[in-house]
Parts: sequence; structure tokens; C-alpha cells
Amino acid sequence: MLVGTADPQTLAEGAATLPSFETQPVRLEGVETLQVLYEMESAGSASLLPPGLHPTLPPVVTWLVQRVAESPWGAFCLAQCRVECRSGLRPRGFLRQGFVDAPRAGAALAERWGFRLRPGRISLERGYDRVCASVELDEQRVLALQSTDPQPLRPADAYIVANVHLAHTPHGLRLVQIDPDWEVARAERGQPSVDCFEPEAWSSPGLRPSHPVAGLFTLSCMTLPTLRYVSRPDSLAFQGTERVDT
Amino acid sequence: MKFGIFFELQVPRPFSPERERQVIENALEQARLADDLGFQTVWAVEHHFLEEYSHSSAPELFLTAVAMQTSRIRVGHGAVVCVPEINHPIRVAERAAFLDILSGGRLEFGTARSSTWTEVGGFGADPDDTKKDWDEYVRVLPRMWTEERLSHRGRCFSMPERAVLPKPLQQPHPPLWVTVTSPGTELDAADRGLGCLGVATAGLAEQERRTKEYHRRIQLCEPVGGAVNDRVSTLNFLYCHEDADLAAERGLLFLGTFGMLNAHLLFTREAYPTSAYQSLANLAPSAARKGASPGDRPKVPEGMCLGDPNQVIQAVKRWESVGVDEVNFLLNAVEVLPQAQVLESLRLFAREVMPAF
Repeated sequence: MLVGTADPQTLAEGAATLPSFETQPVRLEGVETLQVLYEMESAGSASLLPPGLHPTLPPVVTWLVQRVAESPWGAFCLAQCRVECRSGLRPRGFLRQGFVDAPRAGAALAERWGFRLRPGRISLERGYDRVCASVELDEQRVLALQSTDPQPLRPADAYIVANVHLAHTPHGLRLVQIDPDWEVARAERGQPSVDCFEPEAWSSPGLRPSHPVAGLFTLSCMTLPTLRYVSRPDSLAFQGTERVDT
Repeated sequence: MKFGIFFELQVPRPFSPERERQVIENALEQARLADDLGFQTVWAVEHHFLEEYSHSSAPELFLTAVAMQTSRIRVGHGAVVCVPEINHPIRVAERAAFLDILSGGRLEFGTARSSTWTEVGGFGADPDDTKKDWDEYVRVLPRMWTEERLSHRGRCFSMPERAVLPKPLQQPHPPLWVTVTSPGTELDAADRGLGCLGVATAGLAEQERRTKEYHRRIQLCEPVGGAVNDRVSTLNFLYCHEDADLAAERGLLFLGTFGMLNAHLLFTREAYPTSAYQSLANLAPSAARKGASPGDRPKVPEGMCLGDPNQVIQAVKRWESVGVDEVNFLLNAVEVLPQAQVLESLRLFAREVMPAF
């Protein structure tokens, strides 16, 4: 059984800090999400995950770019680069790096759910025949995505894997499991393309997208949950999981 | 109640030709013993690219070897992936007929469409089309086996008039099955007069509901073949030992390993949003109890045949009580159980459990 090979201490550089596990749920309204999913080259893919997580076969990367209309911290945009994996039996997306365009939202996401974030300029544009997204860091483009020729799906057919974040927590360095609740009102699948991806900016050296799979656009409400479980990044989930909501 | 054994041909890392050969040889030895012990069927799946989980990419060859080394047990091609990018329908018909002849009319023919992105994407098939492909296959394959010559103009393939040869030994053709993972496929099976080859370990209540509806619906079916197969089989895990604690310990190791490997597959729905795949199609029941924390000690899930003979009898009786006709057993996972233990478990099952049915 394959497991990640990244050194957790090295991964921890730049990880968020959770002062407490006592996080209340937060509902985000009017959330537009573009997810682009690609297979990636398997060489080196295990080194993008800590030993507590298992890579998928084939290895897969997802980019999520979201524009949130309403939140307790106002409107904001969030972009994430995630490596799909398994924590024990559960499908997860391990957040390698995210960007956010609003400091208040970024601070809350980092402190309460362990999002590893940098400030950046994020755009998400939905046209008739395509959805485009981009991220800029210091006026340098580090991501450009498209999903074209959208086909309507039933909302129930939209499937976005839940996140797992490496963060400094009151228990030490832990993988924080985030299971948001999605209420999808609209879903469309499109042809994906990645026109620009700078792995270094996404703390993902060696991540090489290789084969487009699917683009997914959703309009939804999303509830960021209370934290229930964390796990040790250097142990498999069956041995290293701790309950934190009691 | 009839019993079968079911092979994924799981190979532990690191892969080597010797290891691949050992897994196949062990499976063949288990099949020979099952033949001697009175099991009904040896099933072999078709999978591609599923590292560790299943190296059974040429089940027709494996089953030919089984047929050549056994005399009585039926050989279950379970199941052939009915997607043109993976298997052309004419080649499917030819190979199946050949295997039926070589086995002396012992073929059970399963059909499927693949549930992982690893496979569907690996062959460049369109996930939106696989169910339609399967539907076309199950309607045309019986014609290839029963009509002297046929032509076909369809959605996924067409052919001018030809004689597809040879014809199978069984008349009108081998029994047809469809693998059932996604809820609702049992209704597709019923409507077409196909047997339900359960490959997802549904819970007992769910199985009972599905089986009742299947039996009700198949009475009204329009069969795609020359004969209706109205049998329902389910997949289970077998490790039987006189010592119940030891049986549970070894059984849970086997079940847990299988479940982990299964959960690590990249299911189509996870990668490619589509209405054509409405569930992830995970096969194995979790050994974790509802409401338990991940670190809690696992228990043998309800209905699993991991225990002493009496416990296994009780488990099988529960499947029998919900209308299941056949139980097919996985026997190992990436060789976590030594071959001697697997063989002894089979012998004990035949000696102590089979006579109760």
C-alpha cells in the first residue's frame, strides 16, 4: 500500500496555526466554485503527501477557485491546489497551498480550519461557454484555468472531495480533517485546461499535471464545519486519529 | 444455497514476475481444492491498472487454466467489461464461446462496465457512455452466440453480416449475469432477465430490499438472451477456523486490508462528475462500528463469514433468509493470509458449514 513520503516537519514550514479546536460552523452564501481535476505524473507524487496519507492511483491534482459572495468576513476569493489522497478509507484533498484576496477571511480560515494561505489576486469569470480563473502573486500569474463547453449536471452529481490540512494545533503538528457541507444549486461539467501553473508558488515542486480529466462549476452554499478529527501526519489514520470535538 | 469463490488476484508490493506467478498459482490451487470440495463456481474479475488491488487483466486465460485443472466446478467470467475501448464485443463473444467449449459447458458469463476512473480513463472511454455500451452488449452478445450469422448497426459498434465463431457449448448460451455495485443496477438486471452478480457487500436489510424488488420485477422481464437467469448472488469474505477469536483476528486483517485497497481506488464519480455513476461503488464493508471513532477496535461486520463454523453458518443463513441464492467468497487480500491457512479455511467450511445447506 502506497503512502506519502514527504517529511512532515518540512511540510510544516508555512503551515497555519490553530490556537484552539473550538471552531463553530460558518455558512458561506453564494459560493461559485471552479474545480479543475488533472491526473499528474506519478514520479515524485508520493513526495507531495505526508506518511499519514495514501496517494490515489493514478495521482490526481485538483485546483479549486472560489468566489464567496457573503461570509462573516465579507466577500472574498479563495484558490487552492490540492493533491487527492486517502486518509485511512476516506477520500481527501491535501491542501498544498492556497491563496486568498481578503486578509480578514484569510486569517479566519487559517486560524479556525488550518488553511495554508498566502495573499494573492484571484479572479473567477463565468461566461456563456466557459469559466476562467486565475491567480496572481506579486503581479506574476501563477495559475490560469479554464473549463469550457459546460454541460448541466444534476446538483447531486457534483462531487468535491473534502479537505485535509497540515497545521500546528494544540496537539502539535496534525492533519486537520475538514468536511464542509455543500448545498449545490447549480452544477456544470466542462472540458478542463490549465494554461499556467507555477508549482513553486503553490509549494508543490515536482507537481506536473499530465492529463485533463474534468472541470466542474458549482453555485452553492457551503458550511465550514466544526472540527471533529485530527490525525498525526507521520502515522496511518487507523493509528494516528484523535477526536477533538469532545 | 450455493457457494463460489471469487478472485481479484491481488498482488503485494514490490511487484515481481515471481510474485505475480505465486499469486496465480495459489489461486489455481484454491480453485482445484474448491472443485474437490463441492463449491459451485470460481469467479475471476476483469480489472486493469489497479496496482495491488487486482492484477486480473486477462481472466479468460486464468479461467481457462482453472477449467483445464478442474472437472466439475463452473468457471465464472465475472465480469467482462462491456465497453468497446476495453473489449470489442465480437472478441468478447468469441472468447466466451471458446471458454465454454474448453470447460465442457461450465461457463457463467458476467457483464460489467467498470467503476474506476483508473480503468475508464486509462482506456479513454467516456464515462457517460459506459452504461449505454453495456446495454448494447448484453442485447447483441446472445445473438452472436445463437444466430448462425448476424449483422448489427448500433450506437457503440456496427458490423456487416458475419458468422461469429465458435458457438458456445451450452444451449442456448451460458447463463448471463451483471455485476451489481450501484443501487438500481439490480433493476436493470431484472428488466433484461440477467442474474444479479453482487460484488458490493450490501448490508442484509439493503440486500433484502433489492432482492425482493429484483424477483418481483424479473417476472415481467423482456429477456435479452435465450434464457432467463433469475439467480441472486452476493459477495462475502471467508475465513473459517475452529477458534472463533483467531478466525476474527485473521479475518479482520484480511477484510481490513481488502477494504483499504478498495478505498484507495480512484472511482469514476470522484474524478469525473456524471449522472452515469451515482455512487463511488466501494466494495468492502467497513469493520468500524457506526458511531465509533477511527481508533476503536474493529468488529466483524454483520453477515461476514469470518468466524468459527457455527458463526459462519449463522451468517450464511441470514443471507439465505433475505433471498440470496449464492454466496461467493473472497479468500485473501494481497496474500496477508498464508496459503495453508486459506486452504484449511476452505476445507473446514466444506466439512462443517456446507452440510448445513
